[in-house]
Amino acid sequence: MSDVVISGTGILKVGRHYSKSLKDLAAEAAFEALDESQVDSVDYVIVSSSLSYTEVGQLGLAGYISSYIGLTGARPLSVEDGEASGLAAVEVATSLVKSGLADNVLVVGVDKLTEFTSGRVYEDLQKIYDSEVFLLHKVGHAGLAGLLMRMYMEKYKVSREELSYWPALMHSHAKENPHAMLRFAIDPSAVEKSLIIADPITLLDSFPLGDGAAAVVISNEEVVKGKGLAKVKACSSSSGLPNPFLQEDPLKIGSLISAYQKLVEMTGIKASDIDVMEIHDSFTITAMMILESLGLSKEGKAAKDVAEGKYGKDSKPAVNLSGGLKARGHPIGATGVYMVAELSRQLAGTFKGVSVPDASRALAVQVNGFGSSSRLVLLERR
Amino acid sequence: MVVEDLSVPAFWRRRTSYYRLVAARCKKCGKLHYPPGAACPYCGSRELELIELKGKGILESYSVIYSAPGESRGRAPIIIGVINMNGLRIVSELTDVFPDELKVGIEVEPVLRRMDEDSNKGIIRYAIKFRPILVSKSER
Repeated sequence: MSDVVISGTGILKVGRHYSKSLKDLAAEAAFEALDESQVDSVDYVIVSSSLSYTEVGQLGLAGYISSYIGLTGARPLSVEDGEASGLAAVEVATSLVKSGLADNVLVVGVDKLTEFTSGRVYEDLQKIYDSEVFLLHKVGHAGLAGLLMRMYMEKYKVSREELSYWPALMHSHAKENPHAMLRFAIDPSAVEKSLIIADPITLLDSFPLGDGAAAVVISNEEVVKGKGLAKVKACSSSSGLPNPFLQEDPLKIGSLISAYQKLVEMTGIKASDIDVMEIHDSFTITAMMILESLGLSKEGKAAKDVAEGKYGKDSKPAVNLSGGLKARGHPIGATGVYMVAELSRQLAGTFKGVSVPDASRALAVQVNGFGSSSRLVLLERR
Repeated sequence: MVVEDLSVPAFWRRRTSYYRLVAARCKKCGKLHYPPGAACPYCGSRELELIELKGKGILESYSVIYSAPGESRGRAPIIIGVINMNGLRIVSELTDVFPDELKVGIEVEPVLRRMDEDSNKGIIRYAIKFRPILVSKSER
């Protein structure tokens, strides 16, 4: 079994890249990662994209991207797990390197969310949920979040105001991050006043629609001797019930709890041992559920913790220093790759934005929807 | 209104779960799930029996969707809810109610309602929605 390292990273600013195609975005991120890693061969090109079929009309994407970036002949593999596709791709790449089947794997996460009107994209985003149930009603992707947020507020007597501190914290981080989509600060009071999408969810509880691409080169440590930004300590994942309301407690993410237990069993490392973390805050409520499912906040207390200043850069763990899905942006299939690239830079001390000096452990956390699957990638400083 | 994502065969296959609220009960662990899967998602047993959910439900949460996507925009605001029926929570649309009349804990009942029509394929689609049970003033 080989040690696995992140030997290169590429990150594009999330935004409305009308002048660039999906493949152009992928190429830009891939070249940046390959140039940093300086590897002389790539065995696999793994592409993580969730909406390329509906938004761009392309199947077999990994093969087309391989040749577009001049890696014709590399083994192509497209990976899709809804919103959690990025970490799924990293998990597959890590397994290939760890097992000795590959020395270097290029992972590219890419999605374009601005090719069509937002109405159409929101309709496509609804497909992250169980189509057996949700394709009939066509109520969009924020409806389930609205149901969970109201349940959370009623059960734990949490106010709208308390929940508004999360988006404000995310914007304060994104303001300093050059590749974030929304680089401006907001006051918590602005969240309640913004457009209501699915009451009680407002526009500022939700992520912006933006295009993006990020890439990492995952390598056998021996092959890239002395180089690399971070070590991939472990990957974990779990499937969960098809919708959160089938769980005894819908406000806990069952698949995340299961994936986290596996991670602790594998490594002995707990969430409280982590220095920097990127979590999947697709909505404010998703962030609260993740923080509580990982045991970092007590049940019903995450919003109060955030309002009292927890999870900023001086906390352990510091959470979403990128600005998170909320403000860095959430180019669906690319997001997990952004997380791993950003955290690798945090550990290497090269992240341009709010950073934690001397961070030694980092964790990326993704959830599809509200937990049909959950994924974790644990990184360590080299 | 054109509904492209749900084919005629797919809609026909799902008619019982869409029209009759047919859920599955696991013969081994006794837990219910909806819509029915190929095995129990809780214990993995393939011994399932289909049961029809009946009677009243309790509203456990709701959301009023103002920003409905694409084809549904004309139907906004759309109210959806989490309804607990026979111990099973299902997500469905609510009807015959104004947003300010909603409250967690009220009793609701299923009704068959027209959803929309697919003019390309000539289908008018109906679905189960839930409405608050009417209570006369003297019963309140």
